[in-house]
Amino acid sequence: MFKHQFKYTLKTLFKSKSLIFWTYAFPIILGTFFYLAFSNIENSEKLDVIDIAVVETNEYNEDLVYVETFNRLSDDDNEDKMFNIKYVNEDKAKELLNKGKITGYFILKDKPSIYVKENGINETIFKSVVEEINNTKNMINTLSEEKIKGELIKGNQNIDYEKLYNEIISKINNYKSNIQNVSNDNLSYTMIEFYTLIAMACLNGAILSIIAINNVLPNMTGIGKRVGVSPVNKFKLILSSTLASYIVELLGLIILFIYTIFVLKVDYGSNLPLIILLALIGSFAGITLGILVATIFKLNDNAKTGILISFTMLGCFFSGMMGITMKYIIDKNIPIINKLNPANMITDGFYSLYYYDTLDRFYFNVISLLIFSGLMIIISFISLRGQKYDSI
Amino acid sequence: MTVFKGFLKILNKCKGIVIMYTVMLLFFGGFTISTSDENSVNFSEDKPDILIINNDENSGITKNLISYIKENSNIIKIDNDEEKINDALFYRDINYVIYIPKNYRIDFLDNKNPKIEIKKVNDYNSSYANMILEKYLKVANIYKSEIDNENILIEKINDTLDEDVNVNITEKQNKSSLERMTFYYNFCNYSLLASIIYIVCLILSSFKNEKISKRTIISSMNYKKYNRILLLSSMLFAVCLWILYVILSFILIGDTLITLNGLGYIINSFVFTICALVIALFIGNLVTNKNAINGIVNVVALGSSFLCGSFVPVEFLPDSVLTVAHIFPSYYFIQNNEMLEKIKITSFGDLSKLFPNILIMITFIVIFIVIINIISKNKRKIG
Repeated sequence: MFKHQFKYTLKTLFKSKSLIFWTYAFPIILGTFFYLAFSNIENSEKLDVIDIAVVETNEYNEDLVYVETFNRLSDDDNEDKMFNIKYVNEDKAKELLNKGKITGYFILKDKPSIYVKENGINETIFKSVVEEINNTKNMINTLSEEKIKGELIKGNQNIDYEKLYNEIISKINNYKSNIQNVSNDNLSYTMIEFYTLIAMACLNGAILSIIAINNVLPNMTGIGKRVGVSPVNKFKLILSSTLASYIVELLGLIILFIYTIFVLKVDYGSNLPLIILLALIGSFAGITLGILVATIFKLNDNAKTGILISFTMLGCFFSGMMGITMKYIIDKNIPIINKLNPANMITDGFYSLYYYDTLDRFYFNVISLLIFSGLMIIISFISLRGQKYDSI
Repeated sequence: MTVFKGFLKILNKCKGIVIMYTVMLLFFGGFTISTSDENSVNFSEDKPDILIINNDENSGITKNLISYIKENSNIIKIDNDEEKINDALFYRDINYVIYIPKNYRIDFLDNKNPKIEIKKVNDYNSSYANMILEKYLKVANIYKSEIDNENILIEKINDTLDEDVNVNITEKQNKSSLERMTFYYNFCNYSLLASIIYIVCLILSSFKNEKISKRTIISSMNYKKYNRILLLSSMLFAVCLWILYVILSFILIGDTLITLNGLGYIINSFVFTICALVIALFIGNLVTNKNAINGIVNVVALGSSFLCGSFVPVEFLPDSVLTVAHIFPSYYFIQNNEMLEKIKITSFGDLSKLFPNILIMITFIVIFIVIINIISKNKRKIG
């Protein structure tokens, strides 16, 4: 009987086009949209080479610090190239700025000035660099004064100014900062979108178990009535239907994983066994959620599916599907919501595999999912147990 | 009247869908990161969000370093818990973390150039934060090699760093409300498409139910009149929805709608609404299976919204995606919205700048109407 029920549940599920669309095709389509829309976001947030103009005045050409620094910062061979510089006269610079061809232009007359069109990060960086060049000039002056003072105090009247100047310049040029970056390399936050997608796919697997369970509930379907009067162990029936829907779901998940990893290049971290573990438990949580929805609501298929999809989408919303920041806002301010949210348990599980080296957080999520599934099963069991129908 | 009544009856049944998409529009389209409204003539710098974890005593050179960073950035306060810091960094709540080591001040004064650990992401704010820190450390370390007295050192550092550059802004314009308007109308692309396609398709498929259409065909009502009423009712629904969304944009964002730029948004969105309507009629004529409608709505509405820049700002989309997006009417609708954000419209003549994109949308409308006619002509026979 177990085999029979198992086989026919598989057949029913695979034959329903809309089921297969929502559990197999939709996550893949949505993932493709995510990929197309988000693939460039992080790149466009990186610092670009900024287009600027420098007005060539006499003061500028005589000021070696400015000339050299700007040359160095616009040198194509320089790894830290910051600017594309056009050397022009003032009118041309104004024209370029008005046409939006450059972020701003620099002019050295009496005082160094820059002209920009609006506020913004490129403008800010432009300003900051000019300030830094100015600081360097300042440092040279201050250090020269100090050195000369020192020499004079020593009683040395014959100061070699050129040597002194060169010393200072080389000191400035040879300075090496001692800053060490200790952040993790895996910082791509758009990955969260794909993790919520997996979470959605896992939880939407519940639709499968809803349909499968509805087919054995006498108060739901005609098939259920016939099954209900048959002399078969009901527990076995439910077990085999559940198992069949679990397998259908896993198959969909495998396709989704293969697609996201090889086509969309989603990075799930390097710990493959744990990724598989999370996917298995996540989809199991989905299936148990479906059993619960199928057993406690006395509604038709469509209404049950509607309830489930609203729940899943709300869960995905809190775990960042419609805006990654939402997950952070909830995690930070109302953590209890996401601690109870199965979509977030799955998303956060993948996130902790991707971003963290330690596994505490991952196991916390896995255990939460197991507790969630256990609760779903217990509640469904209680509501299903000993059901009798005098009339339907 | 019977047809119209039937139309309203089904509409009433699926009002939940319309409400849902409208709420989404209010939430996502109305809620944007509040850009500063100050319309000042002075240049205001962008400030990165920095977290400083100071393990040293807060005095002398350490204190001065912190106050310099504070001046040039937004200091974010987060509990000193590594997991919370890592989360905040990942979700870009902070761009940069500076860990000042223990005994920093003493080691620094000993000329040891002590190591400072940082955490950063890869965006421009982090790069800028790095520049700020590097700038300070460079000046401080170089001066340190010449000056021994800490107080004089701090004074010299501050003097040097204080030097300001003259910044002049050539354009002064308050863009923030136009930005919000564009954001709202871009999101409208999704809400309009999804709700119009969903509702119109659902209603058409109800009327196309085999039993019902057999009854209408044998009834005395002229089929042309029947089609016309159905068409007009759909149109009425679409236009009402459009009016609702325009009113909502006025409530949410306000006066900007009464300017000529605002008129641009209104005209543009009207043309797009009609466009969405003919797309809906087209799909409604092709598909009669109610279960399939849900899938198609999601794919069409989400697809054109993702690819054309309704959810993700156009400037962040890869060029290849935008090239593909040319096949959707949404692309031209959103391009016009983006244009309205960037240029100030001062006369009615200026509105003509919107015409090329509107013309393309109208072309789409005409093409779809032709196709609808061909399809419905072929589908009139029922076996």
